[in-house]
Formats: sequence, C-alpha cells, structure tokens
Amino acid sequence: MESLKKERHQLENASSKLISEALKAGADSAEVCGTFGQKTRISLEKQDFHLASSDDGYQFGVRVLKGQRQGYASCNSLDSKELKEVALRAVEIAGFSPDNPYFSIQSATSNKTEHPVELWDEALSHISLQTQKDWIQWMAKEMLKDKRIRLNEGNLELGRGLYLVTNSKGTHQIETDSHCTWSLMGMAAEGNEITSFDYFSQISRKAQGIGDKIIKTSAQFRDSLLKNLKTGPAKSYCGVVIFSPRAVLDILIDSIIYHLNGRVLLEGSSRWKLEDTGKVLLNPAIELVDSPFDSERFSCVLFDREGTPTQESVLFSQGVLKTFLFDHYSAKGLHQSSNGHAVGGPSGPPTVGSHSLSLKSGRESLSQLLKSLPQQNQGILWVNRYSGQTDPVTGDFSGVVKGSEWWENGEFQHCVKETLISGNVFDCLGKGLLGLSRETQIVDCSGESPTAFLDGISVTAG
Amino acid sequence: MKDLADRIEKIILNSPVWTEARFHRRRSQSLQVQKGLVKQAKSNLTEGVGIRCLVDGAWGFSSTSDLSSAGLEKALKLAIECAKSLSQMKKSAVKSLPDQGLSRGEFKLEGYEALLQMPLERKLAAVIEAEQNVRNRSKTIQTAVCGYNEQFEDKIVITTDGARAVSQLARNEIRLSAIASENGEMAEGQHTVGRTGSWDCLFTENSILEMGESAAKLAVDLLKAPKLPGGLSTLILSPAMVGLLCHEAIGHTVEADFVLSGSVAQGKLGHTVASPLITLCDAGTVHNSPHAGGALLVDDEGVATQNTVIIKDGILNSYLHNRESAATFGVAPTGNARAWLYQDEPLIRMRNTFILPGQTQLQQIIESTENGYLVDCPLGGQADATGEFMFGAQKVMKIEKGKISRMYRGATISGQAFAVLSSVDAVSKEFHLDLGAGYCGKGQPAKVDAGGPYIRCKAMIGGVQD
Repeated sequence: MESLKKERHQLENASSKLISEALKAGADSAEVCGTFGQKTRISLEKQDFHLASSDDGYQFGVRVLKGQRQGYASCNSLDSKELKEVALRAVEIAGFSPDNPYFSIQSATSNKTEHPVELWDEALSHISLQTQKDWIQWMAKEMLKDKRIRLNEGNLELGRGLYLVTNSKGTHQIETDSHCTWSLMGMAAEGNEITSFDYFSQISRKAQGIGDKIIKTSAQFRDSLLKNLKTGPAKSYCGVVIFSPRAVLDILIDSIIYHLNGRVLLEGSSRWKLEDTGKVLLNPAIELVDSPFDSERFSCVLFDREGTPTQESVLFSQGVLKTFLFDHYSAKGLHQSSNGHAVGGPSGPPTVGSHSLSLKSGRESLSQLLKSLPQQNQGILWVNRYSGQTDPVTGDFSGVVKGSEWWENGEFQHCVKETLISGNVFDCLGKGLLGLSRETQIVDCSGESPTAFLDGISVTAG
Repeated sequence: MKDLADRIEKIILNSPVWTEARFHRRRSQSLQVQKGLVKQAKSNLTEGVGIRCLVDGAWGFSSTSDLSSAGLEKALKLAIECAKSLSQMKKSAVKSLPDQGLSRGEFKLEGYEALLQMPLERKLAAVIEAEQNVRNRSKTIQTAVCGYNEQFEDKIVITTDGARAVSQLARNEIRLSAIASENGEMAEGQHTVGRTGSWDCLFTENSILEMGESAAKLAVDLLKAPKLPGGLSTLILSPAMVGLLCHEAIGHTVEADFVLSGSVAQGKLGHTVASPLITLCDAGTVHNSPHAGGALLVDDEGVATQNTVIIKDGILNSYLHNRESAATFGVAPTGNARAWLYQDEPLIRMRNTFILPGQTQLQQIIESTENGYLVDCPLGGQADATGEFMFGAQKVMKIEKGKISRMYRGATISGQAFAVLSSVDAVSKEFHLDLGAGYCGKGQPAKVDAGGPYIRCKAMIGGVQD
C-alpha cells in the first residue's frame, strides 16, 4: 500500500528503536504498541458549522519485563533521544516494581491473521475536503429539516491510520485502517417542552454509499428526537418492562462482560469460576457471541493488543457458559491460552475486553411478544435509553430512563419523564427473561441485540 | 519553557489572521495494585502544540507534535486553510473576541516541585501498603484495589491579541476500593480523593490508612444492607452529593454553549431558580481549599480564571463563558475554556463548582428531619439540558424522628435541578470540596472538583416497588 508507506516505515523504525534500547538497558523482553493517525474533521455546534480541523500524530507505548517485573512508558514523539528516554523509563519502573508471576511477553503463535475483512478502502482514504464538506452539509440539512430540533453538536471525521504491535519474541502485526465517522448530539424543543439529550454515532470503512447512509441515519435520529416531545405520566409498579436493544446492551450485557473478563476471574472477583464453563448459568434463550470481523462496526480488529490474532468467541450458548475472555496475563494465571481479547492502545499496558458483541435473536416477533404480555391494561414501560448506575459486582442497577415510552394494550401512548427503574442484571438474564424478539438492531455500529421482555423490575414514576 | 514560548510567539505574531497557539506538555504516572500484585506502573509523556485561527468569523484548528519552527509553521498554515474552508459554509460569523482578562506572565500552583521530586518508587511503596491494609481489615474483604494517578501540566498560551501565559500545575488522585463477599452476596466500598498539589495534599483530611478503613467498612456494612423503597423523599445530601448536583445538574446547563443550544437555563438570568439559601459558584481557586482538584489560574485561551457566581441568593446570575460565548452575550469571559490535550480545542468547562456554606450545624439538620435519608458516597451521574439529573449513591442512611437509624444499599437520586434547589430548606456550616478525583466528560475529559455544605431538599430516590 503506497498511501501510508512513509508513515509505516517511521512507525516500524521507532518501534525497533524502543525495543533495542529497552533490551540494551537490561530488559529481558519488550513489546511495543504504536499508532499513526491522520484525520480531518468538520464539526457542528448550535445549529451551525463550528470548526474545521486537521491533525496527525504518532504514539508509542513500550512494555518491558525484567524477570517477573513489568514497567511501562509511552510518548508521542519520533525523536530518537526521547524514544531512548522512554525505553529507559520503562526499564527503570520495572526495576523497582515487585514481582508479578502472571506478566509475560510471548512469542507469536502466528503472525498471520486470516483476514476475513478489509479495513482499508483506497477510495475512502482519498476523499476530498469538498466531498467531506458536502457530506456534513447533507447531515446538517437533514437533521435541521424540522425547526423543533436543537442541534448541540455534530462531527464528521475522515481518518486513516496504522496500528502496530511488535515484540522481542517475534510477534509483529501491523494493520492499516481508513474510516469515516459521523455523530450528532441534540434534543427537540416545542414551547416549554424540551426532550432529553440524545446521541448517535456511526462508522463506515467503505466510501461507496456513505452519503446515503449519512442522510438516512440523520433522519432516523431527528425523528427519534421528535417522538420524545409527546410526554405523559408513567405509573409506579414492579413487573414486566421492555428493554430496547440499546438498553439490553448498556444495562445487561456490559455487566455480563465484567464477569467474563479473565483478569476479573483471576482476581476472584467474578461471580463465576473457571469450573463453571459448560454449566447453565443464564436463561437458555441467551446466545452471546463476540466477533471482531464486521468492518461496519467500530471495533473491528484482526489482532489484539498483544498481537494475538482475534477470533469469533461464543461466550454463552443456550445459557451455557462457553468461555471467558483471556489475554496472556489472565491465561497464564489460569493455565489457559489467550483467545485474542487483550485490548487497549499505546497509552497503557494491555487489559481485557470484548470486541463487538451480538446477543442473538429469539423466535417470536416483537408484535407476538407484545400480545403475550400479561399487564396490557395497566400499562408497561418500554426503556429505550438509560442514565444510571450498574454495580457490576452485584448486578444491581438503578437509574433514570431516557427517551422511553409508556405502552397500554399493545399501543404506544406517550414518552415518559422522571421515571426510574431498578433491578438486577442476573435476575433479568435468568428467570426474569420472558422473551427476546426475532428482530435485532446494531446499536451505534457497536453491539447487536434483540428487544428483551423482562420481569421483576421496579418502576418509580415521578 | 521561555525559549519555546519565544519561538512560538515569533511564529504566531507573523500570522496574517487572529491566532492562538497552545503548547501543552503532560507527564503522567499511574500505579495500580490489586490483591498484593502491581497490576500497572506506567509513565506517559505527551506534548505538542494546538493552533487555532479565526478567519472571516470561522474557526480552523490544527495540532502537531513537531515542535520545530517548520512543524509549527506547517500547523499554522493548515489551521488557516481549515478556517478559510469553513468560512464558506458558516451561517453566523464568530464575533470579535473580547480581550478582558487576557494574561501575561508565569503562573504556577503550589506543590508542583514537591510532587515531581518525590520518587515514583516511594509512591508505589505507599500504594502497596495501603492496598494490603484494606485487605487486612476484614476476612470478608475478597479483593482490594489501590490506584494512584498524577499529572504534571506545563502550558504556554499565546494569542495575537496579547495573551502570553506560561503555567504549571500538578494534580493527583488516589482511589481505594474493597469488595466484600459473604454467603453469595457481594458489595463494594470506595474512598477517593483528588487534589492539585503535592503528595501530602491528598491526606490533609484523612490519612491513607483511614481512607482504606473507610472503604473496607463501607463494603462490609453494605453486605447486610437491604434495598430501599423508591419514591419522592426528603434527602440530606452530603457535600460530595451536593458537588455532583452543582456540577452535573446546574453547572452543565449554565455552560454558555449549552445555553445557546437551548438548555433549561436559557433566558433565566435574573430569575429565581433556587431557594434564597443557595449561592452557587464556579471558581479557578477556592478560598480555604487551596488544593482543589480543579484549581486553575489561567484558562486555555489565556484568560485569568475568576470566581463566577452562577446563582446568587437563589437568583440566576451568570453563565460560564469562553471568549466566543462572551462575545455573543456581550459580557467578559469567565476563564472557563479548557482543553484536555494539545490536540483538543478549548471548550467551556467547569473548574471547581460549589454551593457556599450556611449557618446550621449538620447535627441540627438531622435532628429536625422527621423522615428522610442522608445520602453520601456518589457513584457518578449525568444530567440533561432540561436539568433532569440522575446520581448514583453508594451509601443511604435512613433518618427517623431526627436520628439516623439504618443503612440501605446504593440507590439512584433523580429530579429536576432547579426544582430540587428550590426545595432546599437547610444548608450546613460544614463545607468540603469532595469530588477532586473526578473527571468531567464532554467530548474531552476535564479534571474538576465540586462540593459544598450538607443541604436538605426533596428529590426522587429510586428503589424497589412492591
């Protein structure tokens, strides 16, 4: 690829320098994560175009091991002197840190990633500033078609970059990425009625069709804001609540991921144990998969933060725990192998995380599930968004619903304000799960989920 | 720093358009110890210059980590091109920027050198010991974590209309948490503190051991605590909860960019929005709290910070401004423009936000409360432009007939900020800034602090329903 040839060369040279300086200074092994990013951005604020910006830069982080002691240092410079100082700093930190038997920098099992997706689009990497201006003008025009919309901010960014992980044990992975991201944040106002803020963000890694996607997603966002202008009361009750795909992912799945984190498991803070693998721990309807290979989602990665090729991981199938998320640290402590879930960038050492989660659909359609509900005439809360706290340890959650709806007898009545919900994640994904819809949605180019019908949730109406 | 400032100034003063250059060097170090193991010990250096230009009423911005004269000139050229490009699209031009408060000179906050000179090795030893002490507090403590972060900020802000401010400050924070477990139940307790200053500034109110004890005790107590019933209730909010209310629910709605977008505070200057007991401020430096976590002498547009009185005796008095919004409203800037890193453009952000103390002792407020809750230990929160807010609280104590009776598990507090502040009928003498370990998120993070006295008010508390 000619486009970023010079930058790739500089990134690889600086990374080699960091590793060699660290080894010279006494490190037993060293790993470097390096990035180069170049972006142009046009932003909107207060119904108008606000700022155009352009920048590029490198970032490097070096992790060293001296015996079982680890040190880490990072910088954003290509300067040889500074790179040397950073390597020395990492070795110095390792020198006074106590032993931790789980640290490791491992040799590559394979530097080959089976590339099922392409993250680089030559056409997208050469989009002109004029086209970028056209796109954001279309976005603003669509969003502001209705005078009741209050646009707080919006962005359209074109970016391209490199991501590299290399170590002294033979791992060497580098990936090139081009992307266009766009986002909007705003509310709707009519008379004294003001809706809550809402936000959306999208990504595309292919130039073809972006203009249409921008217009379509902006229109959807505008319409969802306007819908929230019609507000009315909710009722307090304890019982069935409907969670949108966004609510399922934000409230329920994030907590599940905490307990599947290999490092949390190693520390003994997970509610589950390694021996629970193969056991039914959640409702049999739960099928949860982590896949990093959808290029139209934000987190599409072909190798992880330690250079391990990523893979699709089935986390739960029919409620049965299939695997935890491991990096080398947690895998070493638990006598497992990394399954490519080290995450992070150059500013810090690797941690563990998921990539792009998908909760699989149920068998019945939304309308069939609605008809089967017991509380039809008393009303039911449909949670679209949520602003609150979830205690990942206990699974207890409590917060205010946003942009959420009140339904009676299978019909939308109005949106609600000042309504709180509380419940427990594990109850919701256990006996409290009444059904998952056949229809699913990818939320903000991130996770995918169906709509969930859940029992045992407390609703407190203002 | 002086040589660099001279070089930047030379380039900037040759710019054909209004230009602002901001050099920012951040050196940060982080430590994290869990269950006796050092999970993280790291050091980071990020430096560069962000250049912002105003051409025909439109902003352009470019940043670079190349500090050579050629690198700076290239960034300036790009910023001008960006601004020119945007000016063809912009409907409403940015007005001429007011120059009140533009600063020249060197500005350094106390504690920078002391924190810099203390070796990281000593800090790590203290963090390891603190974590061990938390674990040793109770057999039910399953996991303990101690995390420490520090940031050294060196900045130069130069504008073509006269600012030349060179500033240095150091911020640090420490977090102790304990997870207790018994009979299948789990609970977490935390104690955090954040300051601007030296290592010792972190421990002026509680020693590191006392902080650990407090986190461990909370985790153990919460294990047996029941969930509370939900509904509209009388609440006494602790200084930390008041800080969250000031910051999230009031502060954001009075940031002038949000006001212009249509926040609930729009058009309410001069209106009664709170009880007459309430005077609410946002300040760069706070009297009697010299090490406030959001302390700042000069903002990222080179404007001297000041104490901005947002609500005075219950009446909305001022919004928070950068230079652009001050021009729009025809007032002086308030020194609230802040950027997280050199790559970021300055946004309107809070610094230290607080309610002034009152005349009543906390004990008197509790004794005069027939039925309510004392709410403490915030878990974070959010608010809308409508002023509707949501805060998590880890510790909720029931008050019955003037006495604290039992503890409940964490809950969510919600309400409309101005309505809640209008319901305030008691404000304590006791005053703390208590959110210095917190970061505000608004596209970019910002280090802030907030607090105040204990206040008694009415708000919704989220809990279980029968």
